[in-house]
Amino acid sequence: MTTLSIPALPASLELTALRQRLADAQGWENKNRTLVQLARDLPSLPEAFRTEDHRIQGCEARVWLYTDDQNGQIALWVDSDSRVVKGLLALVWSAYAGRSADEVRNFDFAALLQELGLSRFLSSSRVSGLSAIVRAIQRAV
Amino acid sequence: MSVWSAAQPRACFPLLTQQSELIWLDSAATTQKPLAVLDAERAFYEQINANVHRGAHRLGHAATEAFEAARSSVAHFINSPSRQQVVFTRGATEAINLVAHSWGGSQLQAGDEILISMLEHHADIVPWQMLAARTGAMVKPIPLTDALELDLDALAAMLSPRTRLVCVTAMSNVLGTRPPLSRIIAMAHAVGARVLVDAAQALAHDVIDVQALDADFLVFSAHKVFGPTGIGALWARMELLEAMPPWQGGGEMIARVSFDGTTYAPPPLRFEAGTPAFAQAVGFAAALNWLQQQDRSAIAAHETALYQQLAAGIAHIDGVHILGAPHDKGPIASLAFATAHPYDVAQFLDNADIAVRVGNHCAEPLMQALQQHGTLRVSIAAYNSAHDITRLLAVLAETLELLA
Ligand SMILES: Cc1ncc(COP(=O)(O)O)c(C=O)c1O
Repeated sequence: MTTLSIPALPASLELTALRQRLADAQGWENKNRTLVQLARDLPSLPEAFRTEDHRIQGCEARVWLYTDDQNGQIALWVDSDSRVVKGLLALVWSAYAGRSADEVRNFDFAALLQELGLSRFLSSSRVSGLSAIVRAIQRAV
Repeated sequence: MSVWSAAQPRACFPLLTQQSELIWLDSAATTQKPLAVLDAERAFYEQINANVHRGAHRLGHAATEAFEAARSSVAHFINSPSRQQVVFTRGATEAINLVAHSWGGSQLQAGDEILISMLEHHADIVPWQMLAARTGAMVKPIPLTDALELDLDALAAMLSPRTRLVCVTAMSNVLGTRPPLSRIIAMAHAVGARVLVDAAQALAHDVIDVQALDADFLVFSAHKVFGPTGIGALWARMELLEAMPPWQGGGEMIARVSFDGTTYAPPPLRFEAGTPAFAQAVGFAAALNWLQQQDRSAIAAHETALYQQLAAGIAHIDGVHILGAPHDKGPIASLAFATAHPYDVAQFLDNADIAVRVGNHCAEPLMQALQQHGTLRVSIAAYNSAHDITRLLAVLAETLELLA
């Protein structure tokens, strides 16, 4: 298969900036609006890579994950046909991109959702979808 | 014709009065319950509760009478010639499984064909596939036309002396399509096939008369007709029920049991092994009686007006359309979006306390035929109002702009 050159994470999606935006958005509706805005900043995975091979099963929406090992650091590209999910994937991307295998294994994504006040708002199917993605990233390192 | 005002029925539904902002447009999944149903179950538990068909005491007799009266109410609601033709089940799904096991298991063999409409819910597909795997019978889908109606020309070409059963819904839970049942039944009978009608969606909206329809089997669930969960029914022709073997064994379904041999009770008890959901049966009857006391043609006109309001409003919003334009349809609409994801739209509707359903609606073959990954379904019932639809349209338009 042809390889893909993975774009750098946009500055607006650096974890600190993103943490602030999500923490500032109060209430369910504002959090969802913010997620939709974040989704706009996330580059879309080229159509050719939106295949079954790259699909994560167990999500309500379709989710694709592409990873690559770049000198011991993980590069990843995540995308979804749902804007709200893609907004959550921005968070996944900023949490994991450029980290070492050890860091990937040790990062507590559930704690991040908790800290940003997102866990309360997410349905159990969304939460299990997100854990499926996190597990797939951990398997990739 | 009198005009139905939704304010009055909404007041009958405790959940809707206690959550006055809630807009419930997911009645095809399950309806809310009128106070009359809650009262009937509570009164049963407070005044009568005893097991049925066995007590040597005052309450046992009263409970049996209430349970059998509930069966009569169900029979009356669908104009069954007798109450013995109503078998209580856990719901439409179990009723179909009963027919597949008992009638199908005893009647079908390799080479027989079961024709299943493309509109069917998984409940009316999977039990037949399981039966086919056991017996060697074949399951064949009846395709749709471009307008998403059942293709009767295709059906005519498929029907043959090998056809033993035709399965068809009275109202699609995804599109609202009402197939022309009388014609389909006449066509099937002409080749000697039986017809099973899935009335799970239709019963809350349409007057169903099993004698006028001339169906062989008809199934439904109480919880989609303002009744409790955990109960539903199979209606069947008496001569079919009489010839059908039991499918589950236990108490209640026997005439006499000995280790030399057991004889079975006549229908309907033959098919009701174990303690039935008798308090729920009383609630079910209360739901049907409540509905029968309303002006049903006024409700139907009200639901149609709301559907038309919805369709007209959707036509004015960019990026969304209603799937299918069958000429006869109930108050159910599946919305498809140009770019928005149905889950995202539903999430924003939920923020505004508007409840709809998204996904494949347990009808994957239909979704494949529609080439959809999922739709957003709006389903209307007697207690909805023009305000509900106005609010849905406003939030929908706003949401699609936000997601654009
Ligand atoms: C058309 C149709 N048939 C059958 C069923 C199954 O009903 P139940 O799950 O109550 O058995 C449903 C439920 O959604 C339905 O819509």
